[in-house]
Amino acid sequence: MLRKTIRRIFASEYLVLYLCLVYFAVMAFIEPIFATGENMANIFANMLPLLIIAAGQTVVLITGGIDLSVTSIVAVCSIVGASLITADGGVLSGVPLGVPLTFAAMFLIGIILGWFNGVAITKFGMPPFIVTLTMMMGVSGFAIWYSRSLPIYNLPDAFVMFGRDSVFFIPYAAFIVFIILWILHLVLSRTLFGRWVYAVGMNAKAARISGVPVHRTIIRVYIISAVCGVIGAILLTGRLETGSPVMARNMFLDVVGAAVLGGTSLFGGKGKIVWTVFGVLFITLIDNSLNLIGMSYFTIMIVKGAIILLAAFIDAIRNRLLAVRA
Amino acid sequence: MRRKGLVPLILLIVFALLAAGCGQSGGTGTSSSGGGANAADSSGNTADAPKKKLRIGVAFETMQTAYWVTGFNAIKEDIESRGYEMLEAIADGDSNRQLEQVQNFIAQKVDGIIVVPKDDKTVIPMIKAANKANIPIVLYNRPPAESDAKSVTVVADNKQIAKDTVQFMVEQAQKQGGKYKAMILIGDLGDQNAINRRDGFFEAVDQYPDLIEVVAKVPTEWNQEKALAGVTNALQANPDINFIFSSSDFLFPSLISALKAANKYHKIGEPGHVILGGFDGDDTAYQMLKDGYLDATGVQDVYFESKMAVQAIIDQLEGKEVPEFIYDPGFVIHQGNLAEREQDMWGAQVAKAKQS
Repeated sequence: MLRKTIRRIFASEYLVLYLCLVYFAVMAFIEPIFATGENMANIFANMLPLLIIAAGQTVVLITGGIDLSVTSIVAVCSIVGASLITADGGVLSGVPLGVPLTFAAMFLIGIILGWFNGVAITKFGMPPFIVTLTMMMGVSGFAIWYSRSLPIYNLPDAFVMFGRDSVFFIPYAAFIVFIILWILHLVLSRTLFGRWVYAVGMNAKAARISGVPVHRTIIRVYIISAVCGVIGAILLTGRLETGSPVMARNMFLDVVGAAVLGGTSLFGGKGKIVWTVFGVLFITLIDNSLNLIGMSYFTIMIVKGAIILLAAFIDAIRNRLLAVRA
Repeated sequence: MRRKGLVPLILLIVFALLAAGCGQSGGTGTSSSGGGANAADSSGNTADAPKKKLRIGVAFETMQTAYWVTGFNAIKEDIESRGYEMLEAIADGDSNRQLEQVQNFIAQKVDGIIVVPKDDKTVIPMIKAANKANIPIVLYNRPPAESDAKSVTVVADNKQIAKDTVQFMVEQAQKQGGKYKAMILIGDLGDQNAINRRDGFFEAVDQYPDLIEVVAKVPTEWNQEKALAGVTNALQANPDINFIFSSSDFLFPSLISALKAANKYHKIGEPGHVILGGFDGDDTAYQMLKDGYLDATGVQDVYFESKMAVQAIIDQLEGKEVPEFIYDPGFVIHQGNLAEREQDMWGAQVAKAKQS
């Protein structure tokens, strides 16, 4: 009986959510401030940029690919967008519809870069790791060159409000992020394209033979990831009220860590947006709580690494259990 | 049946724990009202209350050079010697993380925040957040960009210290006689401190056009490889350079290897000695002074700055008027005053700690 219950908990797709709740309860004991409304609002706000970027990454991971370039897309969109709209001589500053035009330019950059990733991977058969790694190097280099490594300030309120402001204590960012997540969830679970994504990840060859447009699917997922990166850039830039060429530089481990922690497989074919939400929640809880109890940055890195490794371990056990059950 | 009851059961336990956790938090809040550190009472009690144990959040951008480590430890020592508590956070060059760390401090209702910002602009939202929560915030060693946010900055008087250092070098040159061709290693021009040091250098040498001619301005962007390449090129173009000022001591290793390659690294008093000056007062500079290679370096007084940063928070809590900028006057250390001033030179302490 006990074995069965344990097995059931491990096999549940809400395992990570349960872990979050337990962790929350334990940390609330150790550090009472952790459970205050103010801190929970902080946690919620801190989650949002990571959430949107990790959701895009999840879609790529399901196809068995990886998008290492997404954090550099965040950086380049942050700096280019800020340079267009800044009151210190941005060309779109003070222009009517300047802010929507800036956003359009940022999305255009994201879509082109994502499309390029997808085309290089499909049409030229290059491995996603190399394509997106070199893209990351090139794009982050460009961001630093373009800005002479200087951050850009003096951004209009209409530009930063999406990352900074709230309505009834709920950040605007929350509406944006959860609407996009909902759409991504529906796309993956309800549409033909969603089924293609899983089919490509499970077995690309079999998918192609059975008529799935593999190339088109892969190109689209990299565009989705890049677009999520652009939204992440809008949120982070607004939050700091600054365009920065090194924005999100250290975020990549959290992005992939959150997806894997949630249960999305690095080998493709398996993953859900909801799982990634749980993964992001867990990573953010760890980050916030360890910071609150005064651990140094380096200790937090060690703990976070250990927990992601542990998650991969639990994932392996879970897969074995599920295999036995099936 | 029991299996189906599992999920609600877990949730129940969780909420029980949660409630207990909250109860606990209420408990600490009340029981510690005497010497308690947390205290939502930022109103600041009057003299009859027992002395409150202040909690100060310290957020550094990086710990990658000895300068920051020394500053961090000096602040820590100062806070602890006053019997206060220090909360620490390192952002490792990530301004979004630094913002989260500062927000955490605010959630913890700290009494004051000391921050070394990543840059002068991303710190503005942090200052605004602290202003909103009515918590005094002090910027350590890096001033913010102009804005309506209220903060206190403790920073070295970079221009004056650089000027004094170069002035001392000029005096050495005058004593030796002859004419001088000068080179300056310039820092990252996105850093106000680098600009001020450059300006200090030129204010000093421009007074002596007959004695000194500046033939090389090497941009380093605070990067050792760039410094090495730039200095090597400059020495090839102008082999007779004999007066060098580096905007930071941490560039000395690059400078020395370039000088050695050009066979121009000699002790003071030896023929062919190049008059050398630096800025910061780190352990490399200390060693060079002791070994007789370095003429002078402008020292940022880390101990003064950290003391002033903590003091600025306490003064603000006590309602005293604190200026927006507190300048560290620093001092020039050279062969003549090395013995008496080395205890104020942070690099000397680092060097001694390394040896022991």
